[in-house]
Amino acid sequence: MRVVTVSGAGESGKTTLIREMVAHAGAAAKRSAVIVNEEGLIFYDDDFVKAHGLTVEYIRGG
Amino acid sequence: MGCSLASGLVDLIKKIKRNVDPDLLFIEPSEMVVTRELKDVTAMGLRDIRYGAGPFITLVDGPQFPFLWSERRALLLGQVKDADLVAVSRMDLIESHDLETINGLLQDHCGPLIPLSAQNGDGMGEVMKRID
Repeated sequence: MRVVTVSGAGESGKTTLIREMVAHAGAAAKRSAVIVNEEGLIFYDDDFVKAHGLTVEYIRGG
Repeated sequence: MGCSLASGLVDLIKKIKRNVDPDLLFIEPSEMVVTRELKDVTAMGLRDIRYGAGPFITLVDGPQFPFLWSERRALLLGQVKDADLVAVSRMDLIESHDLETINGLLQDHCGPLIPLSAQNGDGMGEVMKRID
């Protein structure tokens, strides 16, 4: 397992980039997981999670 | 980042490693977290479990840059400093001279900037190479 972090301001495209990387990794038969430290929003919809066998965990605080 | 969040993150990393052990674990931190804190958290987890750490990627929002530079400069610099890769995101929404301005202001604080746009795919290949 390798940990990759994506920092930046809100709306800077962190979720978009991670989704792209998850899809890219999936195309190479690599499994991904995500830890999200943002509150109040669902960033990874069920269809995306199922399609990529993605594990998603949310953690509060900042 | 507070102590409880840091220890919670370490616990989650270890839990995912033990229960799932994916090839890649992406962490999407709060916008208030700086790169040094993320490096410290991942280093803490390495005390009793083995995994790779990095790259630590920072996105500098192109359209928001003037606001970030004037109002949140310390936070912005804390995110680009120590990052393995810094990309200017949403490039399709700014002009090329804006990128030159961002480059000029950040060049003393980080490595070369990667212009990135999910809209037209610019820079995506460069970022993907870093996780392969």
